Amino acid sequence: MERPENNADHKLDSQPNNKSEKKLGKILLFFVVIGVIALPIIIFQAFSVKTGEVMAKMNTDPVSDFDHNAKQLFKVYDRTTSAYMEGASTSRTLDYYYSLRQYPGSPPFLPHDLVDEKGVELVCLSCHERGGFARTMNKFTPVTPHPQYTYCGQCHLKEVTKTLFKVNEWVSVQTPILGRSALAGSPPPIAHQLQMRENCIACHVGPGTVVPIRVEHPMRGNCRQCHVPEQVKELFTRNPK
Amino acid sequence: MPIFSFIAYPENSMKDQLIKDLSLIQYCEVKPSDNKDVLILLTDTPDEETNKNLINKIKDLPSLQSLSMTFGHTD
Amino acid sequence: MTITRRDFIRSMALKSAAVAAATMFPGISFAGWKPTDLPAGSIQWNKTPCRFCGTGCGLLVGVSGDRAVAVKGDPKCSVNKGLCCVKGYHSVQILYGKDRFKTAYVKKNGKMVPTPIEDALDLVAQKMKEFIKEKGKDAVAMYGSGQWSIPDGYVSSKLFKGCIGTNNLEANARLCMASAVTGCLTTFGLDEPMGCYEDIDNADVFVTWGNNMAEMHPVLFSRMLANRKSKTHVKIIDLTTRSTRSSQAADISFIFNPQSDLALANAICYEIINNGWVNEDFVSKHVSFHKGKTNIGYGIQDHFKFKDKAETVDFEALKTFLEDYTPELAEKISGVSAKNIKYLAALYGDPEKKVTSFWTMGMNQHTRGTWINNLVYNIHLLTGKISTPGNSPFSLTGQPSACGTVREVGTLTHKLPHGVVMKEGARKMAAKIWGVPETNIDPKPTYHTVEMFRALDRGDLTFMWIQVTNPMVTMPKLKRYRDGAKKDGRFIVVSEIYPTPTSDVADVILPSALWVEREGFFGNSERRTQHNAQLVPRPGETMCNTWQIIQVARRLGFEKQFPWSQETYIEDIWNEYIQFHDTPKHRMAPYKELTQRSGIQWPYVEGKETRWRYNGKYDPACRDDTFDFYGKPDHRAWIWLRPYEPAAESPDREYPFWLNTGRVLEHWHTGSMTRRIPILHKAVPESYVEINPKDAMSLGVVEGSKVKISSRRGSLIMKASINGRGNPPMGMVFVPFFDESLLINEVTLDAFCPISKQPDYKKCAVKLEKV
Repeated sequence: MERPENNADHKLDSQPNNKSEKKLGKILLFFVVIGVIALPIIIFQAFSVKTGEVMAKMNTDPVSDFDHNAKQLFKVYDRTTSAYMEGASTSRTLDYYYSLRQYPGSPPFLPHDLVDEKGVELVCLSCHERGGFARTMNKFTPVTPHPQYTYCGQCHLKEVTKTLFKVNEWVSVQTPILGRSALAGSPPPIAHQLQMRENCIACHVGPGTVVPIRVEHPMRGNCRQCHVPEQVKELFTRNPK
Repeated sequence: MPIFSFIAYPENSMKDQLIKDLSLIQYCEVKPSDNKDVLILLTDTPDEETNKNLINKIKDLPSLQSLSMTFGHTD
Repeated sequence: MTITRRDFIRSMALKSAAVAAATMFPGISFAGWKPTDLPAGSIQWNKTPCRFCGTGCGLLVGVSGDRAVAVKGDPKCSVNKGLCCVKGYHSVQILYGKDRFKTAYVKKNGKMVPTPIEDALDLVAQKMKEFIKEKGKDAVAMYGSGQWSIPDGYVSSKLFKGCIGTNNLEANARLCMASAVTGCLTTFGLDEPMGCYEDIDNADVFVTWGNNMAEMHPVLFSRMLANRKSKTHVKIIDLTTRSTRSSQAADISFIFNPQSDLALANAICYEIINNGWVNEDFVSKHVSFHKGKTNIGYGIQDHFKFKDKAETVDFEALKTFLEDYTPELAEKISGVSAKNIKYLAALYGDPEKKVTSFWTMGMNQHTRGTWINNLVYNIHLLTGKISTPGNSPFSLTGQPSACGTVREVGTLTHKLPHGVVMKEGARKMAAKIWGVPETNIDPKPTYHTVEMFRALDRGDLTFMWIQVTNPMVTMPKLKRYRDGAKKDGRFIVVSEIYPTPTSDVADVILPSALWVEREGFFGNSERRTQHNAQLVPRPGETMCNTWQIIQVARRLGFEKQFPWSQETYIEDIWNEYIQFHDTPKHRMAPYKELTQRSGIQWPYVEGKETRWRYNGKYDPACRDDTFDFYGKPDHRAWIWLRPYEPAAESPDREYPFWLNTGRVLEHWHTGSMTRRIPILHKAVPESYVEINPKDAMSLGVVEGSKVKISSRRGSLIMKASINGRGNPPMGMVFVPFFDESLLINEVTLDAFCPISKQPDYKKCAVKLEKV
């Protein structure tokens, strides 16, 4: 399926085969059996998305623009099933989303235990890479936009106490205001920084998303065609020479 | 006279409650959709301070899941 | 008063929420309350084509009161089916920039002074008369654009070619798709693509030739991605000289050396023949073979002249010719491995695969632009992959009416609305429809765009009226042409909406009405004519470009040829214009139908649009139900033997980098409109130079460093972009041209294709210095 860049092989589509009919019957039966076994897996696959393998190829150098990693992002789009994209079941709110973060864009706290009810230790990416329904949590999982980083504990911590050592007077900034469309109904600009959050699909599409930031047109694959970042606040002025 | 409008999303199956809650708050006007689980909220307050308090009050409603602003005017 | 204002703001607030809700939840309704019933809050949605690129998206513009307030994609328009790009969604904001010209200006003692528009028009007419009397009719010129509405271009052709009698009429489309025109004419005898956008839904393989569609034609690009997502086997192959957002989305991206697309295309043909993938039946019935002159020059000198001469040859001659282009030899020229060239040829050659090739400026802005157009047609002709759904060699246009106004109306020096000035029949037809003596129309073309600006510099022509374009940003080797325009004794009239470097050199500025402030027509890349009605009032003294020309024509004494009333002139002009195209090869739709539908494709015959030309199954102009390339006298498409020849200027020791220029998604052309849209300016506030990371490292340059780019013609200093949106290979830099404060065309070269006269903005030699 995949063709590495500049290294194409020349085989065109496979030739038709000429098996005898008897063999064909056996083969069909084989496929039926396989199909019965595979069906639940296929259904599960349809409602989740596996991005890590693709995103692992992302260049992890800090870069200034989304396009540097865009190849992987286009691939994630191509591989995400439409069933997943249309999925909308969630109970996550924006308030809850920001309650896990110190400031917009900071790594969120872990909101749940790292062992399930049977005491089995959970591996973050086994759920947060692919999304879909997590039975242990009884809800749909939010997908990380950067599954290529596997040492999650480097940034994401568990909150074990509410008390403080000393009071800190730091205050956060206002969270990005939603619905900042320039015109009624026009596509809003991107309200956040893109570093480590280049993959739009992860947070804005699928059943694990926060409702107010879920896009209503997930099937459109070139997000930046309509949604652009805001690099400066000033308007254009002329300075003729 | 700050005037704002929002699309308000109720918590699951709490749309009627949200309509009721919002209708009881001063300075709020509600236009519920009859076929979708959202409603339009218009706030029209005399000054910035009142507006700020009002928004905080609205945000604390348990029946409200989230608000997204669609229009803002202050002067 | 306060209560009224408050009510108004409240109703605006409710309306905004209702519009947003309706966008998010189609079909939403509110019990007992209809937002559209609100007196101050009703939005009327009206169709119009988008103001920007040649894709020709259908928009619905929301009008509230007398202002355009919102945009959505027109779901009824087959081009975009309800989707736009970020420029389209915010396009109505171009109407409301604060520095909009709302009155005319006339230069008095070196300063631009506001002047009533009638006085300014008097002055324009008076100056034209003076110059014609003093220096002859060829001293006055009109320079328009592919953003001209069709009636603008039509009346300028009628005034200049028919009434004044000079062929000094050009349009900026010369800088944009002239090579696509000459490519079509030399291969098929008639201009414009044979296919349509439905090819995008039908193709199995897309090959984009030097074409960053993700940024330049994003809506078509999304349609391509949607096709690939819905099927498992669809492939997008990106042929490019620099890695772009389109390369990132493609299945494979092949980077070739600048200018070597000529060798690549020939090598693909070699492979097709060598492997027996030629569609012999198609070739024997529908193709003939020709060769033209070689070593044809670059037009860098003033008064450069070139005329090609076709010599008929045969298939054997093509085979012999292609022996110079084996994949191995082409690898040496192009840098693309022989293996990859063979892979590409196999995709084109596979009889089971439908292949669509797309191109725009990479092939057209090319000193051998006509040739490379011919060569890509050769590939499609050898394999018979043409004029059927999904099989399409397709040149896209960059301006909303480059096809409609420039190519179809013929606002180029050698053209008439039907045919060329050199042909007696074409002159007769035009004279008859225009009501002018046949002798009025000069049978000799004068200046193509570059030569026209050279003539302005030399003083051979002294009066130029520029409408809807910004040549003081877009002309290559800009300094010469800017200095020329500023010389004493020159008189420049500019019809504009905003101050630009071009209006900075004007003697008279005429304030134009824009897009939905007037009625008009555009013609997009797929032969689709699109009507727009006037949706909002014209601000101040602004005037429609067509009406400006009519006003001046009447002042010059041509009342008889320009008799229309302000109420119906657009309809009347349309009805006159379509007489030029009244054959099944090019019949246009009637006015009334165009006002009702979201665009109609020509040839429009007996109420039916023609989706694929030259194929009898779809095209009523064909002799029978098979292919008929009726544009050529032999009813065949012409395969041309066109060699690889190097660029006009290549990197050397002193100037070791290629300079490539182009656009970005957010800004359209010179940015005079898009930079006044807040969201677009905030996204890309200034131009920059893309440098390969390795080159940057050896120059000691990091992201954001100031870099001086110099060529033999000029230099400028700008910020470096490394690992940004695009990534040029080592030895190349790329600069977007939208920024009037960072004019990259000070640096570019005015070499052009000798056949199309289109300059090459993609290749010249520069050096870089860290500042």
